[in-house]
Amino acid sequence: MKRYLGLAAALMLVCGIAFSAQAQQTVKIGFITPLTGFAAADGYSSLESAKLAVDYVNEHGGIKGKKLELVSYDDACQPDQASALTKKLIENDKVVVMISGSYSSPSRAAAVICQQAKVPFTSTYAVHPSIVEAGEYCHRIGMAAPIQGRTGGYFAARELAAKRIALLIMNNDFGVSLAEAFKETAIKLGAQIVYEKKYPLGETEFRSYLNAIKAANPDLIYAPGYYNEAANIVSQAREVGLKCWLMGDEGYDSPKFIELAKSAANGVFITTDLNRDSDRPMTQYFLKNYKKRTNIDADMVGASAFDAVMLVSHILNKVGTDANKIIQYWDTIKNFEDCATGPILMFQNRSAIRPMDIQIVLNNKFRYFYRYYEPEVIYLGKGSEGK
Amino acid sequence: MLQLLVDAFVLGCSYALMAVGLNMVYGLLRIIHVAHAALYTLGAYVGLYCLYHLSQSLWLSLTLGAVFPALVGALMYRIIYSPVLSAPRYVALIAGAGVFIASQEFYRLIAGPYPYPFNAQFKFLSISSSHLNVTETQMLIITFMMCAFLCLYLIINNTNLGLMWRACTQDMELAASSGININLIIAINFIIGSALAGSAGVLMALYRNSVFPTMGAMVSYKAFVVVVLGGFGSIPGAAIAGILLALAESLLGMVPFFNLPRDAIAFLVMVLVLMFKPKGLFGR
Amino acid sequence: MTFGYILSICTFASIYAILILGLNILTGYTKQVSLGHAAFFAIGAYAQALLVTKAGLTFWSALPLSIVLSMAIGIVMGLPSLRVSDDFLVLTTIGLNFIVMGITEYFDFFGGAMGIIGINVPSFMGHPLGTTGYFVVTLIFLMLAIYISYFFSKTWGRLAMEATGEDEQAAQALGINTALYKIYAFALSSAFTGLAGALWAHSIGSLFPRNFSFEMSVLFLSMLVFGGLGTIKGAIFGAFFLYLLPECFRFIESYRMLVYGALLTVIVILQPNGMLGRGGLLDGCFFKLKKRGTETQGISKMG
Repeated sequence: MKRYLGLAAALMLVCGIAFSAQAQQTVKIGFITPLTGFAAADGYSSLESAKLAVDYVNEHGGIKGKKLELVSYDDACQPDQASALTKKLIENDKVVVMISGSYSSPSRAAAVICQQAKVPFTSTYAVHPSIVEAGEYCHRIGMAAPIQGRTGGYFAARELAAKRIALLIMNNDFGVSLAEAFKETAIKLGAQIVYEKKYPLGETEFRSYLNAIKAANPDLIYAPGYYNEAANIVSQAREVGLKCWLMGDEGYDSPKFIELAKSAANGVFITTDLNRDSDRPMTQYFLKNYKKRTNIDADMVGASAFDAVMLVSHILNKVGTDANKIIQYWDTIKNFEDCATGPILMFQNRSAIRPMDIQIVLNNKFRYFYRYYEPEVIYLGKGSEGK
Repeated sequence: MLQLLVDAFVLGCSYALMAVGLNMVYGLLRIIHVAHAALYTLGAYVGLYCLYHLSQSLWLSLTLGAVFPALVGALMYRIIYSPVLSAPRYVALIAGAGVFIASQEFYRLIAGPYPYPFNAQFKFLSISSSHLNVTETQMLIITFMMCAFLCLYLIINNTNLGLMWRACTQDMELAASSGININLIIAINFIIGSALAGSAGVLMALYRNSVFPTMGAMVSYKAFVVVVLGGFGSIPGAAIAGILLALAESLLGMVPFFNLPRDAIAFLVMVLVLMFKPKGLFGR
Repeated sequence: MTFGYILSICTFASIYAILILGLNILTGYTKQVSLGHAAFFAIGAYAQALLVTKAGLTFWSALPLSIVLSMAIGIVMGLPSLRVSDDFLVLTTIGLNFIVMGITEYFDFFGGAMGIIGINVPSFMGHPLGTTGYFVVTLIFLMLAIYISYFFSKTWGRLAMEATGEDEQAAQALGINTALYKIYAFALSSAFTGLAGALWAHSIGSLFPRNFSFEMSVLFLSMLVFGGLGTIKGAIFGAFFLYLLPECFRFIESYRMLVYGALLTVIVILQPNGMLGRGGLLDGCFFKLKKRGTETQGISKMG
């Protein structure tokens, strides 16, 4: 009896692996995303959006007639799982392109493996610069942090003419990299940083920080982070009586931000690439159909995943499944319109470059406010983002 | 400054409500009740369900958000902890951890991974003056916490039930042989502690306007710190330590450009207390 | 190389097995329950990462240094155990976990929130190690760890540690220097855990502070308790089983962590001594595999 337990365990493992072996009748792209754990909400958004894009592609001819198939796994936002799953996707599921719908730590782990295996890879919303630095096979669809932070800096210091700025930074790679870029730009444009503080992910009590900020009397507070914390920051800021501008980033770009922050969300600016007021057909298609599919309004995380699949499909349709052809073509893409976020103008150092949007929350909705086309704002600076 | 004190006090109330449940379980059974946080989150979700399906009133949410976790807590004791009381204590620890992991996934599967707003209606006192602003929610939390602790204190010190409870915390076997129904005492212990955790969940859901599956995690870690600071097994200790911790965190938050990790500092204080004054402030 | 996935997860499981062997010495023998072992894991990983990325050492030359560093820091972190015991020690280890996480998150020397990137792929004789190569290396280290554990379990040191864990005062009455043995346990445990951390750093290639969370410490202790506290076989079994279990349950992807949590609770209640501990369900199942061959047989049983 006892010996059979070991055998049973062996069988279970083998079965689990066997399920993934399939015949090559479809064109497969791999997708890892956190479906369990603390990041499950973002995982769900990105997976549903990716599936939406796959359905769109298949309704419009697939990949040169063959069906596009999304093979996705839950990485629980852990780099070891991401690493093992990437190998599984590449070797067992035989995907031709890898997409990471996960955070920076798992994405970086996946990127390294894709580079070694010479499989084209792109991250969706993860911002860590090292993701594309892994090598020539690794790309980024989402906005690079230096660009997004810089856009925020221009908007705050130039457009809003804020002279005194307070920084309330989420202490992870996302918040820190955005804040760095923002700070550099804002100072260059003549603003002064009157307060700076980092808080841990998951923090819910900001009143002490906000009271200190109130004493520093800023014109604007820039608080890079995710919407859970941001909703608390914004509503507590209004509660303690702060009347200055509040500014955030794409992490706020979710209907949940407005739901949780209620009326305090009104008047908040964010840097993002999803323009909900845009009349671009793909943007509207995404927004409508995501809502139809999930009964929830779309967010930026989903938009990034949608765009990744759309772009990859376009590339596959154009040059087929040869990895070298894919990455060569990838670098030459210009003015890609079939995406939900603002058209992708080009790829610089393998990161997508697009016009940057400023949205504002008005009447409990995200609305268009401003858009940047200037090269010094939206292009990567010289020397950043590695090779 | 007064505003800071009040805000910190409110935060401290939430810590205290969580810590007292942990303290009660530890005082009686010497188990570190890791699954306590699962009851906090359960209270919030039960309250949320009330809001969406039963009534917009906060009072019903609060009541059910306390009662339901209370029952689940007692059940938890029966099914999970009582079989392992005689085993080494890390077994109860791991069992509790398993329950906590499973519970987070359970909430996610039932309610979805997204945070929900907690739109409850209620009328309560509030203060708004130029010097001090205390919102209705804040007043509610403060009042609730003080009432809860007062009741608890009275029960423990002035009733027969409390006497029996105190006897059990000192020596279970002796208490049992004196004729006390220890199973009943333990059950009541879990019921009260879990009810407080559940109501803390509802109140914090209201305060932060958000309910999500992993909301119990950080609160429970802070609760450990509070339990240590206040002293194991001491109810007033949990209250005072909770408020002190919140106060210290808030003061630290005020210092500009000071970027040392707030949580790590709280735990450093905990380690130092454990090493040099393990009984905490009021421990026995 | 279509076994990349299996080799990958087996590599990680082996790394965890090395770690749990270390935890076994501390918590299994000496009964110093550690709920903060992710901190020791982090120290090994960060030490190796810093030596390799900042000091430019290779995998092989940095490895002994990180192990020694882990031991040294482990001894310092073990000092509280001389003052506190039992539940207080558990809480202290939790505190240490968060403190180490805070330090790695806030000090740029350790990479801060941006983490440490670019930990290289180790080479052997000039050839970079692929997935298979790295798995072999990890396996060799695991076998080394098992051998050392086994060897140690036959020494008087182990008995002294168990005596200290069983009843400190009685041990002292017998003339055992319990303080010394507690520190010894921390040192040995940290050496194993540091090695595991260093191997981990190279297998992922990048480190972020949140990779070493309290949840991970809980996982480690679960693995040991599940497998059988105080037994070498149990340590290895617990690590492999609890690591591979969620992978096997990928076909019920959305539910796998729920099943994992429930299973852990149920099994730990039914088998408080662990599956391979005294009276456990699998006790005696692998009994002939006491020596070095243990994990090879374990792996072949699992396909």
